[in-house]
Amino acid sequence: MGKKYTYYPGCSSESSGSHLDVSLRAVAPKLGIELEDLNDWNCCGASVAHVEAGALPASALSARNLANARAQGNQDVLTACAACYLKTHHTNEKIRDKPGFKEKINEALGAAGQSYDGDLHVRHACEVIVNDVGLDKIKEQVTNPLEGLKVAGYVGCQTVRPFAGTEGGGDYDTYEDPEFLDDFIRSTGAEAVEFDSKTACCGGAIALMSPDRTLGLIKKILDEAKEKEADCIATPCPLCQQNVEMYQAAVNKEYGTDFQIPVVFYSQLMAVAFGMDVNKDACLDRNFISADVIAQKARK
Amino acid sequence: MTANMAATIPGQSARKYDLGFARWVYENIEGGDKLSMCMQCGVCSGSCPLGTEMDYGPRKLFMMVRAGMKDAVLKANTMYNCTSCYSCVVRCPRGVPVQYILQDLGRAAARMGYQEAKTTDNARFAKAFIWSTRKFGRTDERLFTFKYYLSFGLGEAIKKAMANMSIAIKLVKTKRMHLGMPHRIKGTKDLNAILAKAAEIEKREQGI
Repeated sequence: MGKKYTYYPGCSSESSGSHLDVSLRAVAPKLGIELEDLNDWNCCGASVAHVEAGALPASALSARNLANARAQGNQDVLTACAACYLKTHHTNEKIRDKPGFKEKINEALGAAGQSYDGDLHVRHACEVIVNDVGLDKIKEQVTNPLEGLKVAGYVGCQTVRPFAGTEGGGDYDTYEDPEFLDDFIRSTGAEAVEFDSKTACCGGAIALMSPDRTLGLIKKILDEAKEKEADCIATPCPLCQQNVEMYQAAVNKEYGTDFQIPVVFYSQLMAVAFGMDVNKDACLDRNFISADVIAQKARK
Repeated sequence: MTANMAATIPGQSARKYDLGFARWVYENIEGGDKLSMCMQCGVCSGSCPLGTEMDYGPRKLFMMVRAGMKDAVLKANTMYNCTSCYSCVVRCPRGVPVQYILQDLGRAAARMGYQEAKTTDNARFAKAFIWSTRKFGRTDERLFTFKYYLSFGLGEAIKKAMANMSIAIKLVKTKRMHLGMPHRIKGTKDLNAILAKAAEIEKREQGI
């Protein structure tokens, strides 16, 4: 039995990022992580809600989730989504540290008879794997090492920025050259290629609202992955995964390229390397650019 | 302190300066109190993934805030090309939370009635997004996306939906888009009460 965390899956877990959720739930017990779903969780608002609803209402979305988590009892709230992590962690820090903020948030929560004083710890799944689990534990679980698989570790933005280097964020990596993802990749037996675009931006939500503005950003990431002869790109972020996979066809059309690079989550690599079911657990059938190369390279 | 003073520089007609604007930003925008720390080094603009799409990069925009160029700042497209990558936030040597300020400025522009702010893709997208949050408590990627498309009119919505049909089909086939009813939380009533109260508090504090 591992350590218990209140798990906040986030909206993408029920849709475009379902393969992160399913594969993480599959590998979690092997890493000693016990996930207990957050009761009646709502949307975090991501980088979008603020624009229409305002700063305090956007924070109130996270505050309701935190109040629900407080009632559940576990000290640590774990989320695997970059945006959920950023918004929830940030709100939590502001409630705890920003003068006058807790009072305002609690006045809002009071409209539903709830309250929260900022004493939980909101953590990213990757930080938990680095700090609570450790790389040795990943390596111990590998039964089918991904030998010869070349992976471009694409961290993206909000998984590390702006909290990975802060005490509250677990101080688990740097902003400019994070190494945790390459460490995860190597722990599964795969090769992590040098990837300068590891913290480049995919365009975030702007890619969804106006892809014309962001195809160039996605192309740069794909260009380097191809140049480094990566078999696939691995990322921790649901929006990065979605954008870099979903818009490859549009990039090809716009720039006359022929990218066909699978984009997977680190947890999918782990599930394959741990010898779990490639579809039921690793969700390789949920990638629409075929990621079968991962299963093919896994030593049987 | 917030008295508006209009000033013009001789020889530069039609450029309006609102000398109370910087003060308002310092006091009401999240992170605005740090704006006076900006030393105009340009690390933010140089780090910005979509800086090339912006009317003015963050560095210039911040100088314009300090100069009181209220209209030009609030009509700029800068805020709507911020992807929330937070490169500026972690790199700023003076600890100015650039992204937070841009985000709040964009919203302030919309609240103050600037048409430029109300008609951006971002404003339409955010409106559809928060509609889903309020209605279901969660983001229904299918419904809010179509609602976003509809903000451009029915004809345009159908065109956009058709253009993205092959992606939608792939998402359904790979179990990343479901076909049933929206996922919804039990506490939508509570959530909306909390949101309404938070909006009321913010209005009371910011005065817009």
